Amino acid sequence: MDNLVIARTEATPEIYFDYPTGVLALRGESYPENASDFYTPVFKWLRSFLASDHLDEIVANIEILYFNSSTSKVLMNLFDLLDVASTQGKRVIVNWIYDVENESALEYGEEFKEDIKFVEFNLVEK
Amino acid sequence: MEMNHFFDYQETVSDNGIFLTFSGLFTQEFIIKLGDALRSKLSIFSVDRSLELKVFSLVVEQSQNIIFYSAEKSVQISEQHQNMGVGTITVGFKDNHFFVFCGNRITNQKVDKLRQNLTLLQKMNKDELKEHYKAQRRITPDAESRGAGLGFIEMARKVSQTIEFDFFKLDEYYSYFSIKAVI
Repeated sequence: MDNLVIARTEATPEIYFDYPTGVLALRGESYPENASDFYTPVFKWLRSFLASDHLDEIVANIEILYFNSSTSKVLMNLFDLLDVASTQGKRVIVNWIYDVENESALEYGEEFKEDIKFVEFNLVEK
Repeated sequence: MEMNHFFDYQETVSDNGIFLTFSGLFTQEFIIKLGDALRSKLSIFSVDRSLELKVFSLVVEQSQNIIFYSAEKSVQISEQHQNMGVGTITVGFKDNHFFVFCGNRITNQKVDKLRQNLTLLQKMNKDELKEHYKAQRRITPDAESRGAGLGFIEMARKVSQTIEFDFFKLDEYYSYFSIKAVI
């Protein structure tokens, strides 16, 4: 599989999915008009990755300064997918990287954490 | 617009503490530019990061709602730009608070449901809003998660005063919907 690389724009984050190491990085801001469409390649890539026996561990580093409500829905779906994967033999670690100056960022991370069960979800101060 | 009305317009804007306002066609490309302008304006107030992002968030959510839900579209636009809507947004600072005021035409049949949703949000406290947000995020189908469902809850969670809204019936087809968020 190739790496998944999507360049950052003003309204969408940089996405880098490194196949050899199983590390997914999302960085930037996310307020596309249609978040579901924008993130479709990420889900497609992730599903293929999870279906392969390449690695047993996957790490997602998420550092999103601002995201709109439709992105919030997509992130929830992403964490749900990872949650299911972690019940099926994968070790999944999510690092929610937040800026202390933005009080909502930690709160958003906590709320995602409350809604998933099996993934190791870390709140990491930037 | 007559020349003398233009002065009244400036006075109205100024008296209400409005520092950014736009009325017309909204597209995603335009919202990005509007967001840039907003950030540059907010830097004058030297607000902290949290507050800046709250105001930014309200402007993005409300502007994207105009794209998705305004019943008014521009006829001059080619079919490539179907995702657009006509409305008005106003951002200001008055009595020590930022506010975001937004309005657009909607079809009359949408009024009851929207009124019901917003009235429900007005009655909820912070904890109830949080639970409601999390529940809606789970149950809203992808195809319908373009904004309003979660967007209004998001707004209700960010305001310091209860959100205000109004529906004004224009004719047998359309009403004018407006919503005000004070941060």
